[in-house]
Amino acid sequence: MSTAVSPGPSSTTSANDHPQGIAPLRAGQGHEFFWRRLHSLTGIIPVGAFLFEHILISNATAINGATAYAHQVRFLGSLPFVLGLELLGIWLPIAFHALYGFYIWYRGRANLISYPWMGNWMYSLQRWSGAIAFAYIIWHTYTMRFTGVDLHEVPGASFGKVQHELFVTPLFLFYVIGLVAASWHFAYGIWLFCAKWGITVGERARQKFLYICIAFFFLLSAVGLASMTKFRSTPQQCTDQPCADQIEQAK
Amino acid sequence: MADTQTVKLKIKRQDGPKAQAHWEEFEIPYKSGMNVISAMMDIAANPVTKDGKTTTPIAYDSNCLEEICGSCAMLINGKARMACSALVKNLEQPITVEPLSKFPLVRDLAVDRNVLFENLKKVKAWVPVDGTYDLGSGPRVTPQKQEQAYPLSNCISCTICMEVCPQFNESTGFVGAATISQVALFNDHPTGAVLKEERLHALMGDGGIHECGYAQNCVESCPKGIPLTRSISRVAGQVMLQTVKDIFSR
Repeated sequence: MSTAVSPGPSSTTSANDHPQGIAPLRAGQGHEFFWRRLHSLTGIIPVGAFLFEHILISNATAINGATAYAHQVRFLGSLPFVLGLELLGIWLPIAFHALYGFYIWYRGRANLISYPWMGNWMYSLQRWSGAIAFAYIIWHTYTMRFTGVDLHEVPGASFGKVQHELFVTPLFLFYVIGLVAASWHFAYGIWLFCAKWGITVGERARQKFLYICIAFFFLLSAVGLASMTKFRSTPQQCTDQPCADQIEQAK
Repeated sequence: MADTQTVKLKIKRQDGPKAQAHWEEFEIPYKSGMNVISAMMDIAANPVTKDGKTTTPIAYDSNCLEEICGSCAMLINGKARMACSALVKNLEQPITVEPLSKFPLVRDLAVDRNVLFENLKKVKAWVPVDGTYDLGSGPRVTPQKQEQAYPLSNCISCTICMEVCPQFNESTGFVGAATISQVALFNDHPTGAVLKEERLHALMGDGGIHECGYAQNCVESCPKGIPLTRSISRVAGQVMLQTVKDIFSR
């Protein structure tokens, strides 16, 4: 194949010439390139960036106690255009990333049984971890944002509202599974992004960057678990308005 | 391993594209250095199944018998590999032999791998040197560039990288690693680079480089050890740079 050949007349083969079998490349046709690359990009920004903030910054403030947590929630709730930020920065990108992700999954043909190699395992794990994280995120958003005390109105109730769920052991385990799945999906997703966008080109570069991404996975998981442990080890905080206001105003 | 003197094979047979597939078992004497192709040559010399039933010789593609022509890719014990370099003494018996699963079947183990050649044409995987007069000698290729190009030029078009790829299927119509690696090769060539933009634009079409899921089965299974994932990442970077260039200059 290394020999130089002259360009023949441009191929006029159409899909009809391939009644069966896999179609050749549709050069110059379609928009899948845009959507696939947008899917890849939204995983990093804004979805990944939000996960970074959510676990490593906002939820980590719970380690400093109920008042610190209430202040962080008040700060987030007081951001200008907060509903627009939630809608365009979090909900729509996650919905797109997840639904298009399922479409990608549906179009793949996993073959782990025939070819049980590491990269192939990771290919399947990326799909399963995404699905688990998405199931968790839907439930988590529903219970935390759309039911019970509105934390934008009563930031002081935040700590108690989270505790209310984490004190139920099956729910605590669901939180742990959701955290680990989302952390892995994001960490390995960064690795995939760099490989697929031509940032980590060489074998050694990809290998070293994989170690960095695995370390990042452990960081995300550990900080998330530390925050959850704090919720579990602190006595149940109140969530009614007057008491919550006291938590928020405490020193 | 009571009987090391014979070789047991279980081969998937199919008389034509629309015929029903069935299995036939063979037991033949072992010969030193035997590989799957030479075993099937022995079967052709005496086409009798294990049960003593006379059958037809097995149809398959093969040519060089030294893993350089790319013809004899098939599924051996469930994995895609070159039959000529599949030494019988290293294989678990009975050796199951099936045709590649993702290409239209012609007969028995012979499949139509034309899609790869269509893909190579779509990305113009060549160096354009035709002219109406002598173009003279081409630009010098540095030894460093030669070192980079040589492994990529080893591709034998066996299509194993495509067979093992979870993304190469009828739903995506993914172009596959071999073609992307040839884009890397010809984009690097000082004369071939004249078609670089056309190749990158071709790979942005449906079924292009974006369909890669980076499962890395291609690089694991390539019989020639071609750094296919490196090629995919490099060409993906070229495609992204071209995209940015297109956004600002089109």
